[in-house]
Amino acid sequence: MPDASDTLLDAPPCASDPTRESPVVESLPKEPAFRHSRLQRLADRWSHLLFLTCGLLVVALIGGILYFLAARGAGAFLPLAGNTDKVLTLKEVFLSADWDPNSGKFGILPFIAGSLSVTGLALLLAAPTGILTGVFIAKLAPGWMKTLMRQVMDLLVGIPSVVYGIFGLMVVLPWVSGKWLSDSPAAGFAVSAAILAVMIVPTIVSLSTDAFESLPLALEEGSQALGSTRWQAIWHVLIPAARPRLLTATVLGLGRAIGEAMAIQMVIGNNPQWIALMRGATDQTPVLRFLFTPAATLTTELVQELPNTAAGSTWNNLLFAMGLLLYLMTMGIILATRRLGRQRNA
Amino acid sequence: MKTRSLILAALAVFALAPAASAQTVTVMGSTALGPLVKQAAEDYMKSHPGVQIAVSGGGSMTGLNQVVSGGCTIGISDVFATPQQEKTGIRNYNLVIEPFTLIAHPGVGVTSLNAQQAEDVFTGKVNNWKEVGGKDQKIVRVNRPTSSGTRAVQQQTVLHGKEFSNNQLVQDSSGAVANTVATTQGAVSFIELDFLNRANGRFVGIAYNGASCTKQDVSSGKYPLFSFGHAYTNPAKTNPQVLKVAEDFLAYMLGQHFQDTTVLKAGYMPVAYVKSLKAKL
Repeated sequence: MPDASDTLLDAPPCASDPTRESPVVESLPKEPAFRHSRLQRLADRWSHLLFLTCGLLVVALIGGILYFLAARGAGAFLPLAGNTDKVLTLKEVFLSADWDPNSGKFGILPFIAGSLSVTGLALLLAAPTGILTGVFIAKLAPGWMKTLMRQVMDLLVGIPSVVYGIFGLMVVLPWVSGKWLSDSPAAGFAVSAAILAVMIVPTIVSLSTDAFESLPLALEEGSQALGSTRWQAIWHVLIPAARPRLLTATVLGLGRAIGEAMAIQMVIGNNPQWIALMRGATDQTPVLRFLFTPAATLTTELVQELPNTAAGSTWNNLLFAMGLLLYLMTMGIILATRRLGRQRNA
Repeated sequence: MKTRSLILAALAVFALAPAASAQTVTVMGSTALGPLVKQAAEDYMKSHPGVQIAVSGGGSMTGLNQVVSGGCTIGISDVFATPQQEKTGIRNYNLVIEPFTLIAHPGVGVTSLNAQQAEDVFTGKVNNWKEVGGKDQKIVRVNRPTSSGTRAVQQQTVLHGKEFSNNQLVQDSSGAVANTVATTQGAVSFIELDFLNRANGRFVGIAYNGASCTKQDVSSGKYPLFSFGHAYTNPAKTNPQVLKVAEDFLAYMLGQHFQDTTVLKAGYMPVAYVKSLKAKL
């Protein structure tokens, strides 16, 4: 009976399906409970193939990009075909803060430090705000406000980053500079991180709202029945219970933040020598200097220099290597947090 | 070896193709020069039926990369090719003069800098506008990225090859530079002249050495803040027939009629202005 077995094999596994609960021998009736037409079975098989192709395509695409970046980036360190320039050592690239490609200095520490700083600061601002907003929307807000806030957050996710960038460049920078810095330029980590935070808050809010709403009501009711206040219930019960999903929300925000280029490059000042500049300057306290020194990140440097460098030159190859580094950093963070989340869950 | 034989084979196929078929010249590169070349192409195609000229952007370095690899017939660029690219035997045509100017935030109180002052402002020797006759205000240098052609021109002409101060803001495009200068107190930068003409007072121009960007001052060498718009061809990797059409097209662009009308109208200057200066460049 090829028809029946085909149907059973191709049918999606479904827990409520009675045929799967009973032992196998009994579950092979002479006549199947229902029978798919030939066309349906064909469509089933083809759609299976379609999904498989799509899945493989995504994997191939990611692998292809990884290969492309690695192949081009390796040219900075290895004498490969297509190289038209000199080859660098890992030490002079990763352990040097001196970036001046025109005189052969290719230290990328300023970009790595820049990316980590601006992302870290943005997360510091966005994660608590986002999670607490999530609590508010899921547990405290009245119904109409809940709907409104959710819609606003969804809208915010859809705004293109260049809009945030222009807003930062034309409004925030002059305002901060005139208000607090006695007209010296405000470009740097502080404003970039603030804008980045605004960009990733909606992601964190949406996901943490989902996290809190998916918690069993019994948790909250139980803790309140034991005499805890609302605040105690949120702080000691709900947030710990939702922690793995909150972590995921934060990491997705982090992923968006670390890869963001357009908005940041308009407001950060893009100065590759920011570490040297900060060391040299003495006019402000170190923290203020750090926040308002024009700096650069991996993404901003890629955006600015990649289209203008000759293919096959050391500089161009190294930019591809920086792209690869960014890719690996993002992947590393995501994998690490996955593992972390799983451990907490278990 | 394999690529070379492949290219030769491709060339042979092209050479054998019937001469009657439309000849397509592809132009790629500088987005700044693009509109001018597009205009030239339209005019040229009108008087030369059977010739197709396709102009696309991508940026100066893209144009150079593509012409070196044989991906386009003509690569247009705001900068000279790198020495490595020169080695491949590509041929340079200086098409037009692209004039630049110094600009500043309106509040700095300086309208003119001499060559030494301008150099000091950008190298970081001078850090306050009052040292060059302006208000007591910090100088904020706004530059283009290290790989930018504009920045290379600036380094060569304004800084006389010296290094830029590392105390700087960097903006990706001329538009972003203009916006930053307009909104940042004490800002100074270097930009295509065309942007100043459209500034509406949001930022002001600064005269260089008492000279401004006019025909007299440019051709006498008094106003050195300009660069060439380049076109490159690659004879080694182009079908000779297409190359001939491309060369004829470039000759049309370099002709007096085109240079004296369209080039001037587009905000550039004819290369003839600096013919006498050529030895210096």
